[in-house]
Amino acid sequence: MAPRLTRLSPPLHHVPSSVSSVKQSCVRGLATLWSETLFCRGSSDGRKNRKEPVGAPHRHSMGDESYNFVFKVVLIGESGVGKSNLLSRFTKNEFTHDSRTTIGVEFSTRTVQLDTVTIKAQIWDTAGLERYRAITSAYYRGAVGALLVYDITKHLTYESVERWLKELYDHADPHIVVMLVGNKGDLGSVRTVPTEEAKDFAEKKGLLYMETSALDSTNVEDAFQEVLIAIHKKVASREVTRGSISAVTLPNTIGPTGEGQKDGRTCCKNL
Amino acid sequence: MDKLENGRLSADTRSIRTSVSSSTHMDDESSLGSDSEINGFTSDRHTDKYGFIGGAQQYSEESAQDLPPEVLRQREVKWLDMLSNWDKWMARRHNKVRLRCQKGIPPSLRGRAWLFLSGGKVKKEQNRGKFEELDSQAGDPKELDVIEKDLHRQFPFHEMFVSRGGHGQQDLFRVLKAYTLYRPEEGYCQAQAPIAAVLLMHMPAEEAFWVLVQICEKYLPGYYSAGLEAIQLDGEVLNALMRRVSPPAYRHLEKHKIEPILYMTEWFMCAFSRTLPWASVLRVWDMFLCDGVKIIFRVGMVLLKCMLGTREKLKACQGQYETMELLKAIEPRYMQEGFLVREVLEVPVSARDIEREHRVQLKRWRKNRGELHCKSPPRLHGARAIMASEPPSRQDLRQNPTIIVESPLPPPQPTPQLKEEKKSKEEKKMEEKKSRKKGTSIERSSDPASSEILSGSSLRQ
Repeated sequence: MAPRLTRLSPPLHHVPSSVSSVKQSCVRGLATLWSETLFCRGSSDGRKNRKEPVGAPHRHSMGDESYNFVFKVVLIGESGVGKSNLLSRFTKNEFTHDSRTTIGVEFSTRTVQLDTVTIKAQIWDTAGLERYRAITSAYYRGAVGALLVYDITKHLTYESVERWLKELYDHADPHIVVMLVGNKGDLGSVRTVPTEEAKDFAEKKGLLYMETSALDSTNVEDAFQEVLIAIHKKVASREVTRGSISAVTLPNTIGPTGEGQKDGRTCCKNL
Repeated sequence: MDKLENGRLSADTRSIRTSVSSSTHMDDESSLGSDSEINGFTSDRHTDKYGFIGGAQQYSEESAQDLPPEVLRQREVKWLDMLSNWDKWMARRHNKVRLRCQKGIPPSLRGRAWLFLSGGKVKKEQNRGKFEELDSQAGDPKELDVIEKDLHRQFPFHEMFVSRGGHGQQDLFRVLKAYTLYRPEEGYCQAQAPIAAVLLMHMPAEEAFWVLVQICEKYLPGYYSAGLEAIQLDGEVLNALMRRVSPPAYRHLEKHKIEPILYMTEWFMCAFSRTLPWASVLRVWDMFLCDGVKIIFRVGMVLLKCMLGTREKLKACQGQYETMELLKAIEPRYMQEGFLVREVLEVPVSARDIEREHRVQLKRWRKNRGELHCKSPPRLHGARAIMASEPPSRQDLRQNPTIIVESPLPPPQPTPQLKEEKKSKEEKKMEEKKSRKKGTSIERSSDPASSEILSGSSLRQ
């Protein structure tokens, strides 16, 4: 077993001439739907009305990478459900049985291509234990997406989903895109949470839903992809006010498509 | 592979404690001894001198300072002397004790020194039988569930903890469980696991337990409590003190609204055991257990200053996320043992500065967020303060060796130098007599019973 990378190395974006090689290594031969490319350098705030041709990956020496959007996505859920491994699987294509307990905040990025836009996904991970809830406001700030993870073999972790949802809506942007993720799909033989049950619950609450396995990679790409697409859709259908480049915040008004639930929260239909 | 999470470790902790053969995960027939071998790591896998396999924990050949053996021996002699007369040294020559902690405690005595420095030794003596009592209790299933999830997630590349259900993980379980029983209102906080694991690398479970108690209650009170208010407050203190230590770093952190809790949580809660190369972790802990939390603050400040203190560094650091990435990837040269210790000793921040700023931040907290939910007692800034608050008796400090080896050589001729040594030898003999009465020492080889066994076996041959 190779030693686990415990540090984010190298930083994935602000290295000058070798940016594209770093990003190439980021895609480790995974789903072809997502490919990475660099835009010619345009305005650094990445306005979406810029129409640059998107071709094959090409190298540019530039001081700053260009992307249209930065989406901050947080991983939440009980301790031990696999948040850290989902993070490492998605951003580094790594998995380890003995990944360290998350204390404090971990994060990693991956830049992906979504049709004509380039999105930098900033994935954040933190401790699942109850008492760490106290330090989450900084964690949620600026998040536009969330993966609420439970362990399909541990029913208790599924039972606390309601509590996590409340916590999420108390601290995060009300328009945040949420996906309910049943992880550890590789342990289907000892499953305690039926897929249909969780799926129905997600639909009822207006959440996206997917079952994944960080261990064998099943659906990990798809899960993140779906969330990012959903976020992008929301962003694209509204006037987006963008402050610093490190966050995309959604406005509080309901958009022209008329999405919305009785409780005022927008509904993210399963795509 | 057996997973602890689907079952429980045996509630019969006596069996875990007494013999190897009753362990649920070890093959009795196996001739393999170490836990790491059982998990498939053979001896050709490089294990460094600290026990880490495969070069984990940022070990690098160059970073470890290798002391010449003679120096090490000299230091050991000095420490043995200090430990045998601990109350006198702490009362009258504390500065010398501190200096020796700063130089680094000799590895062979580190565990024992930590036990004495932290006041764990005194706690253990004053609470005879307590750990055993806690160890034998079942524990709250909810807490145990969380603890079990963490057992294989602490230093998984250290040979002591690599084996699932091995001795290291078992002891970790025992220590953490005992704490939840000792302080049920506190319960378990995940950051306690790495702290306990570091302690277990240096001392047996009972001692590790008492040092953990001291760390949680005297050095870092409130850090592991529900609400994590103490750590948030200290984050603000750290941030505020940075203004003095490195104005550029301070301005940068303020400008990008980087909340301390985003970068200092793991640093402080784990006392840097998950951040620094191992040699540096040990040096920091030597100083931390002597001088208290100010060492932790100073290490944090050194790292912040080094990574964010110059204009050119900050140029590469355009935003909040980039800054945090930088702080997650501290350059090895800043964490190197020699450099780090030197810098830490230079930081112009005292315990008083910390407490003063703490009062300021507490006032701010009360104004913005109301009263603290969790009122922890004031922290004690190191070994001397702890000793003053809980004065030990001579009895508490006596070292009770459990293995006594009678030297086969005749006693050396007493010279003026050796007079002191001989004195302590005599003391040891007195202790030995006392402990034999209590029945805690093992029989020596000159015992007639064992010599019978020897002669018996030779007859059989």
